[in-house]
Amino acid sequence: MEDDLPAYSRWMADMRVRRAAGVWHQPAMPATWKERLKEQAKEQRSVLWSIEADGRLVGLARARVGGVESPPSAHLQHFIIDPDEWRKGYGWDAALALHRYFFDYLDLKRSGTELRGDNVAALRIAEKLGYTEFGRGHQVHYRDGSYVDESWMLMERAAWDEGFGKTEREYVPFGSAR
Amino acid sequence: MFGPRIVGDNGIELRPPVLEDYKVFTGWQMQPEVTRFWGPRFSTETTATAEERFKRHLESNDSVSWSIAYGGETVGFTGIFDISWTDRDGETGIFIGRHDLYGKGIASEAVRLRMAFIWNEMRLHRAHNWIALANQGSWRANQKSGYSQIGTYPRSWFRSGEWFDEWLGEAFPSTFPADKLPSPWRDKHHPK
Repeated sequence: MEDDLPAYSRWMADMRVRRAAGVWHQPAMPATWKERLKEQAKEQRSVLWSIEADGRLVGLARARVGGVESPPSAHLQHFIIDPDEWRKGYGWDAALALHRYFFDYLDLKRSGTELRGDNVAALRIAEKLGYTEFGRGHQVHYRDGSYVDESWMLMERAAWDEGFGKTEREYVPFGSAR
Repeated sequence: MFGPRIVGDNGIELRPPVLEDYKVFTGWQMQPEVTRFWGPRFSTETTATAEERFKRHLESNDSVSWSIAYGGETVGFTGIFDISWTDRDGETGIFIGRHDLYGKGIASEAVRLRMAFIWNEMRLHRAHNWIALANQGSWRANQKSGYSQIGTYPRSWFRSGEWFDEWLGEAFPSTFPADKLPSPWRDKHHPK
């Protein structure tokens, strides 16, 4: 929603967010953000969500979804929680809901993402979900006067099924009642 | 951006692309031998879109592209893309469109010239790439110029009845072999 855009801009300008991860866009005037939202709405393979908690805007997530010659998959590009709302568990709750969308709604086979090597909170969430590291770039991102590594991570459908398939479905399967 | 002309060994050189190179690419892209390890096996490219792509690459601020010439004839492309000027990092790629010339060392020489330019003229800090693991010729060509493997992406894409993994690599200025520095940078350090 357009009403969310001032918060988006504020987060992109926040050095705590910028240290933890790449920003979706650079801070800008409201008209530019409206244009960005309009362009995002036209995207066929990229999905943007605002994250709410108790009716309040607390973050955003953006993923590309696709796969023609590759397994049907999601690539989580941005996952940002308002720094003033950190350490309240919103990251985990939102990540779980997002992956239910990937695996339970869209029937995707895998999800991938890249995380900075020192983003402990994000790495912990990813690990808890079932992501594993398949590659590690060294000295990839420069900020705060030094470089940080990047962890390339992948979560397969089997990990979702094993960890959450029985507890995180939106509806109980029809099964024999169908 | 297009890169400048860099002359290598054995009749191989990098040179700024011309529109005709992009039109030739359209045909290469539909050949099964050429796309065995590269790109989708379908295309939406026409002469008109080739012109648009040529213009887009020329005007790009976050990439440098070259045509690869062998014996004076364009035989492929290479470049560095998605450059982050903050991180001083970019993704490199190479494409040899003439499959009858595979195995002649053209890719190895093109990668050597490209990386010498990236380190000595662009002052980048890092470069990385993704290559089909089964395409040993390509990742070995990159290894010769200082790339090392940092991971394997499993089951990246499906082709010819099987899944292909990808070889993930990275390189730094310090990993480029000093004894392979091409001219003109070699001449600067070792004047005749």
